[in-house]
Amino acid sequence: MAFLVKSLAIRGNLCINFGNMDFSEPQNFREWASRVFAFRPLVLILIIFGIVISELRFDWAEQVVGVYLVKTNAQRPESGSIWEVSQRTVNARQRLEQLVTDLQSTQREARGAATFTQIASSLPPGQGVMLSSEHFRRLYLNLPGTMAHEIIAPFELLRLLSDGHWVRTYLESEDYGLKIYLINPENRVLRDLKIPSQLLYQIERVELALQGTLEDLPTFENRIYTAERFFRALNSLPEEELGSVVSQPEMLLGASGRIVRVGISDEAVSGYIELGFEIEDGTRRKVILLKGREWAVWILRSYLEEMGTDTQKSSGGEEIGEQG
Amino acid sequence: MTGAMALIRIVRAAFYGTLAAISLAVLIGVGIFFIAVRDLPRVPEPLSRIIETPPTEIFAATGERLMVMGGREVIPLSDVSTRFIQAILATEDHRFWEHHGLDKLRTIKAIWITLFKPGRIEGASTITQQLSKNLFFSFKRRYMRKFREFLVAIQIESRYSKQEIIEAYVNQITMGVGANGIEQAARTFFGKPASELTLAQSALLAGLPKSPTRYNPYLHLDRAKERQRVVLSRMEAVGYITNDQARSAFQDELNLQPPSKAARTGSYFLDLVIRSLEERYGPEVVYHGGLKVTTTIDPQLQSMGEESLRHGLQRLDRMLGINEGVGRGPDSERVRPQGALVAVEANSGSIKAMVGGRSYIETEFNRAIENNRLPGSSFKPFLYYTAFEKLGLNPATVFVDRPVTIPVKGAPDWEPENFGIKHEGPMILKQALMKSVNSIAAQLVERTGPKDVIATARCCGITSALEPVYSIALGTSGVSPLEMASAFACFANGGIRHEPFWIWRVEDALGRVLEEHIISGKRALDASITYQVLDLMRGVLDAGTGSVIRRMGFNLPAAGKTGTTDFFYDSWFTGFTPALCTSVWVGYDRGQGMRDTRGTGITGGRAAAPIWADFMSKATEGDPPREFMIPSDIHFKMVDPITGTEISAFTPHPMQVALREGQELQEHTVVEEGLTDSEAGAMPSNDLEF
Repeated sequence: MAFLVKSLAIRGNLCINFGNMDFSEPQNFREWASRVFAFRPLVLILIIFGIVISELRFDWAEQVVGVYLVKTNAQRPESGSIWEVSQRTVNARQRLEQLVTDLQSTQREARGAATFTQIASSLPPGQGVMLSSEHFRRLYLNLPGTMAHEIIAPFELLRLLSDGHWVRTYLESEDYGLKIYLINPENRVLRDLKIPSQLLYQIERVELALQGTLEDLPTFENRIYTAERFFRALNSLPEEELGSVVSQPEMLLGASGRIVRVGISDEAVSGYIELGFEIEDGTRRKVILLKGREWAVWILRSYLEEMGTDTQKSSGGEEIGEQG
Repeated sequence: MTGAMALIRIVRAAFYGTLAAISLAVLIGVGIFFIAVRDLPRVPEPLSRIIETPPTEIFAATGERLMVMGGREVIPLSDVSTRFIQAILATEDHRFWEHHGLDKLRTIKAIWITLFKPGRIEGASTITQQLSKNLFFSFKRRYMRKFREFLVAIQIESRYSKQEIIEAYVNQITMGVGANGIEQAARTFFGKPASELTLAQSALLAGLPKSPTRYNPYLHLDRAKERQRVVLSRMEAVGYITNDQARSAFQDELNLQPPSKAARTGSYFLDLVIRSLEERYGPEVVYHGGLKVTTTIDPQLQSMGEESLRHGLQRLDRMLGINEGVGRGPDSERVRPQGALVAVEANSGSIKAMVGGRSYIETEFNRAIENNRLPGSSFKPFLYYTAFEKLGLNPATVFVDRPVTIPVKGAPDWEPENFGIKHEGPMILKQALMKSVNSIAAQLVERTGPKDVIATARCCGITSALEPVYSIALGTSGVSPLEMASAFACFANGGIRHEPFWIWRVEDALGRVLEEHIISGKRALDASITYQVLDLMRGVLDAGTGSVIRRMGFNLPAAGKTGTTDFFYDSWFTGFTPALCTSVWVGYDRGQGMRDTRGTGITGGRAAAPIWADFMSKATEGDPPREFMIPSDIHFKMVDPITGTEISAFTPHPMQVALREGQELQEHTVVEEGLTDSEAGAMPSNDLEF
């Protein structure tokens, strides 16, 4: 403080000559009084009081410190409880944003899908997508009649539509395939449907029209027949077994072009064998894949083999494009 | 002269000593300042940003907002009642408009008191300092923390206007019962916006920040009023109001919102909701993410549930003699029985009401979901269903109520006793369930095996651990009221099971849906057998152990089952109408039986069933009678309850039973278990319940 007073005194040009000051102890009361009430001590006391009073009145010390702190604010850390809360809010928002983005991208992908198979493959396990009833109807109508019937009978769907309660459809990916809930405005399930993995696989195959010929698919090697021979053999089967070999004939009927050859896979998966129908459409060739029941296809193959033997006997084995 | 000189020397020494001390203090202060300033927190700009945290809001199924968590509702200062601003300034910092973050006079006074009056600590924090503390610092009393808090206050004062500071302050103060900021507090306590607070209400709220718990008006209205008086007198002293205004405000009606609403409507339920949300999204998202959660609760049913349970427990207290101080047990004066109630919508599984105890404020332990208590006979419907399904029995099949001994491998024989020990002889199964006869339940479980009974219970949604022992038939494995309500809802719903749920929909702050519940039922039980068991349970209400419900005036079609455990530890009633299934449990938290002042044990019919009846009467008030759906292959016959044969003109108390297709009545009495008619002769009557 003494230093401060000294400095202030110098800065204030008070011209205090410290060299002439008497630092010896006063010997009597008079000397004491004269020293205390001398000009310099009074100025010193006034200055001290001035500082104290002005601080009390004008808060200049706080203001100086405040200005300094405001200026250095940007360099200081974002610490303290409110920053922690703020950080948690930021984290929470980011987490929610991520969650919503994931959900929305799943939804977008699923909503953009043209088939149930695409929806099933776009949904992570346990997640679902909400579609409108119209969207579901479109997907349903894209299916071949027999497959659509396997999911739900058209008349049942018609009944639900006419009731007017079915507004939304929730599709959920599960281990066994796709679970579908037709729901009313109160989120109550009106009807739940299942599309097993097997049916999804079939749908996928049906939808698949590969560009090229049967030779491009090794699974049909050595089992490719002319369409004429195939359908002749097919017609030899009892009426009730036809559907087991070609369960979705409408898929073939709907395809533009003419079926020229049919291949039979040498591999059976879960009781089904794949059939490839090569279609000639102008200058292009494509293959539509369908599945037939294993046992029915085996019978058909035995017929085809027999026919091959008969044909060979009658025509010397000349069948264009046939390798079987 | 020498004395005066000595005095002068002392004064001189004191003067220079003081100067030296002040100089040293200034030097130390400057040093500490630079140390403290190094890790001083940054003050956000603008200041309002610090309180912009979106709240997570929880709504009832009816759309009513139940709770706000985490966030704060920021309102401009112009939307806050002037009276409140005056009240808070007068109480917390009446020189707010004059100082620059530090009230020096008050600080000097506080230091004086703290130093020279042992045992007393005087606070002198200005509103800016409080704001600084609330926003950046912990509540630990440390000198360095205090100094930093002061520095931040100075910075806030230098950077922001007084209006901005007071606005930030009133928007972040904690008022208790989950209310943060003046707007939330005004709505929570008085159900109105902060702009409409009266002088009396403003004074009450302004008194809360000092200690929101101590002055909580719901818990300690007297203390809150006393604090209000202090605030009013401060306002008068500062000159904001006159003495007359202060007096009049003190006498004014506060019009506090009912505590159940203001606090946390259905707090046990909300705890469950919050816990579920935390499990799914994590606490950070729940408390800081600004979720909008729509739950299944119906506030009206919830308050009815709370009221019914409260009244029922008060009635039980009187029965136990607790109020008169003659209850049993050393702590009967203080330890009171607890209860729980859960109501589930039968055809969806949505929880409409949940009460987990007498008072959430007293104990947060949720007995509706966390308390696995033995269900006693209320477990029997699962046994009867199993017996009908596996053994092909029907409600008219005759069994004999007789002493039963069932050998158990590797353990002593099981000898279940009836509630009243006596046995009644032959009776049809409907009668056996209505009277809750244990010996017949034991015979049934011996034939079905405990595993099949457990399988039935599991199908209905009982998820607690169930021991595969014969006594499972008498409910010797613990379950929760929620499980019971949900499982019995399966009976109410014709065997279709709905998972119980409590959250309808969760949205983020922008209204994007994160999840929504889809009500999907699954057939768990055969519809016809389910109806047969339901018909037995109707008998429980109409003329069985739950007949008190009909005596209390509840006349809608309903079914249910009572349950009481050994030594009267637990008292249950779970029952349903076609729309609503409710389970009520009553008992002491720790092993203590319930006996009335005469020493008679208190059963499910005496303790839980009246609560059920009271609640259901209110919950279904005005509803038209709605019958349970009867499957097409069910037909009804009137039978003799003792012989199980078709009635004649002389049958004393004929009873209607529901039979499935192919099930016909016997022409002569056929007693199961190979007992002859003579062996099954009439035994002393027993009209007690279990």
